[in-house]
Amino acid sequence: MADIEIEIDGNVVNAKAGEMLIAVTDREGISVPRFCYHKKLSIAANCRMCLVDVEGAPKPQPACSTPIADGMKIHTQNEKAKASQKAVMEFLLINHPLDCPICDQGGECELQDVAMDYGSDVSRFTEGKRIVADSDIGALIQTDMTRCIHCTRCVRFGAEVAGIMEMGGTGRGEDMKIEPFLEEGIQSELSGNMIDVCPVGALTSKPFRYELRSWQMNAVSNIARHDLVGSSIYTQTYKGKVKRIVAKDNESVNETWISDRDRFSYEGLSHENRLLAPQIKVEGKWQEVEWNVALDFALRGLANNVFNARQADQLGALASNTATLEEFHLLQKILREVGSENIDHRLNIKDLNNAISLESNIKLAGLEGVDHALVIGSNLRLEQPMISHRLRKANLSGASVDVINAMAFDFNYRLNSENIIPPHQTAATLAGVLKSVLQSAQAEIPEYLSDIEVSDVATQLANKLSDSDNSVIVLGEHVINNPQASSIANLINEIAQQTNSTTLNLSASGNSTAANLSCFVPGKGGLDVNAMLAADLKAYILLDVYPQYDFHNSVQAVESLSNDDTFVISLNSFKDDAVAQYSNVLLPIASFYETSGSHVNVEGKVQSFSAAVNAPSDAKPAWKVLKVLADLLELPGFHYADSTQVTTEVMHQSHKQHVHDESIDVKVKRGINIIWQKSPYAVDVLSRHAASLQATKIGQINSASMNKATAKKLEVTQDDKYLGVPVVVSESVANNCVFVNSNHSTGGQS
Amino acid sequence: MINNIKKLVKDFSLSELRGGMKITAKELINKKITVQYPEERTPISPRFRGLHALRRYPNGEERCIACKLCEAVCPANAITIESEARDDGTRRTTQYDIDLFKCIFCGFCEEACPVDAIVETQIFDYAFVDSREGSIIDKAHLLEVGDKNEKVINQTKLEDAKYR
Repeated sequence: MADIEIEIDGNVVNAKAGEMLIAVTDREGISVPRFCYHKKLSIAANCRMCLVDVEGAPKPQPACSTPIADGMKIHTQNEKAKASQKAVMEFLLINHPLDCPICDQGGECELQDVAMDYGSDVSRFTEGKRIVADSDIGALIQTDMTRCIHCTRCVRFGAEVAGIMEMGGTGRGEDMKIEPFLEEGIQSELSGNMIDVCPVGALTSKPFRYELRSWQMNAVSNIARHDLVGSSIYTQTYKGKVKRIVAKDNESVNETWISDRDRFSYEGLSHENRLLAPQIKVEGKWQEVEWNVALDFALRGLANNVFNARQADQLGALASNTATLEEFHLLQKILREVGSENIDHRLNIKDLNNAISLESNIKLAGLEGVDHALVIGSNLRLEQPMISHRLRKANLSGASVDVINAMAFDFNYRLNSENIIPPHQTAATLAGVLKSVLQSAQAEIPEYLSDIEVSDVATQLANKLSDSDNSVIVLGEHVINNPQASSIANLINEIAQQTNSTTLNLSASGNSTAANLSCFVPGKGGLDVNAMLAADLKAYILLDVYPQYDFHNSVQAVESLSNDDTFVISLNSFKDDAVAQYSNVLLPIASFYETSGSHVNVEGKVQSFSAAVNAPSDAKPAWKVLKVLADLLELPGFHYADSTQVTTEVMHQSHKQHVHDESIDVKVKRGINIIWQKSPYAVDVLSRHAASLQATKIGQINSASMNKATAKKLEVTQDDKYLGVPVVVSESVANNCVFVNSNHSTGGQS
Repeated sequence: MINNIKKLVKDFSLSELRGGMKITAKELINKKITVQYPEERTPISPRFRGLHALRRYPNGEERCIACKLCEAVCPANAITIESEARDDGTRRTTQYDIDLFKCIFCGFCEEACPVDAIVETQIFDYAFVDSREGSIIDKAHLLEVGDKNEKVINQTKLEDAKYR
């Protein structure tokens, strides 16, 4: 588009032809009041607040829907503009209640701000004000619909961004109401953003209701660590407590949205289950002690079990993948300094010889620009909401999306094809795709593909990939327990190379990219997690591990860790019975937002953050605990003044490439295949303790889905439980496959 | 010289003493103006800003809605409020403390209050019995002051209303 010149309030401004006027004024810092306009939503032009005077136009024009043209002369502040804005304001305030003192939006309300500038101090409206009945729309959003000014931002957000139109306007004129269409309220995984877009106090945060006024809090920039995106957020704190989380604009990561998991998980921080004081187990009984006593006890335990016998290889370290980059680095450094390579964070993987090795070589923002995507084994919307949103944007602008899943999931956009394939056939299907790609490129077919029959589905998937210029293959989380996981990853790699596609590996979760970056994996001669547990090591250092959620086989893990001659040092942020059972020392550590550190997202972007609040009571940031532990062990090279020095050290160390198995096995395995996955709001310890998240429909997902034939084979019915999870019989699941979304781990039964 | 003589005469004739005695004699007969505090009190303006009180509506419901505007406007940061949604869903304070050592009795809290909950009464003769902690008056105390003096508060506010 051509550059043109327009005149705003007498100043010449350069702009692109066809841009909306409000975009130009926003860029130039000229204030134009608005309610319905939002930079990320479509233009509705229904609030009429942004009326400005355009020379030559008979009436004032709404800035949000007036495309600019060369030579246009605009007045935003002259009498005509001001008079029309004032008139609109008066109409908007007719039905708006004067309850600012009890409104949670008070102090950060767009209507309040604009009314200060454009409102009149006396109302000419003497008739009765309109009152709208509220409906309960869920555990996260509080409604006060009398305050609604019908800007329809929430409606447009639902339809355009969340992808589910849950809110809508019904009725006309005086009777118009914004309300959810269904009784069950708002179920979207991005619903909290409606609170942010609402310009008035009609939609506010339910957990935060009536707690504080906006001016009482300090906002600290932070990074949400619940998924592979690392959304930018503001943690709003008051008297040393996190009271609310709102989205922070970061165009390259989360645009201006965040998921509900990022927004509401903070509630867990003040849960009564927080571990607040160091404890040691003496003769089977827990005692609360001072830090120095606990650390002494830990050192003596390590000395007795490991160092005195000169058996450093009897020490293991395990960490959950929510730890920060610095914590991973310090823990692996301690282990390597004392001479042990038994380090691992991949606790939920059944067979680590079968580890997935797939690079992500696409930027998050780049996902919007793809013209085709192949998603393999993922319920994207619930697992990685922000990545799903990017892909949805691509889809809306024309990209096609193919899916290979073991079960039909809700995608909030139209799929090109949804292929329900049991997990044990995934490798074979992908092999078919590869073969088809190679055939059409008339390339040599490697031997392992010789027996593969290319199905129609495979041909179609292959053609789509070959035909697109900018395609991406997304590997989701469901693959981790697939017996052919490494083959699947290798096949994807091959296909991507042959079709010039990019890849996105979403099979890990939380901060596991940071774990890999800091080499928190077994080195040469080291044992992986399953080998450690099988070898019954004499001592462990565990970082925020909760066995019944984190381990693939929690029963075996607890059993192995509970051995009488095993000394376990647990650094935990929350109390947990299983942890108490096997640990000898419990060291309370800071949770999310209470420690400084770094998150590494799926594209490899390192985002550092500082602590928003101090950890409660005696809890300390884990990186400090690990540093002190290292000092007490008299290890060299642990002189850090703050966590940023650790970050610098990690970034400067050489990153070893992992050697991985490149063999590909495409044989179809027999038997029932189980995909075991944590429920979306049970992925980490903080969200598990967030009461409001757990009260949502997504938070209560706990089901083992299978089709009728599988149920018959397993001899279960709708009322039974399968491996402790309620059975749901649904024909949307592939044959011979059970898809489990659970809030606990398998317990070793699969 | 002449001045010295004049002074000498004045001193010896006790004229100043007589002048003083004259006033004493006059005041002996005049009406007394001494106020026998605390039995008697001087009149106080309805705008007088003394000890704070929290008021209730006639039906017994506390007026304060925890909007925290008084807390925000207080130039001395003397007010501390914590709030929650009460069981019936209304917005209420769980804590309302005023530190009278910090308070400068400017009356901004009263001006800011949208529901006339916090007021400054005409009470000025309160005392802190137990040092620092005693200077912080809590919600129960403030409501008690309000309950005891509601009649007077109502009267003074009415008197002042026409000038606002």
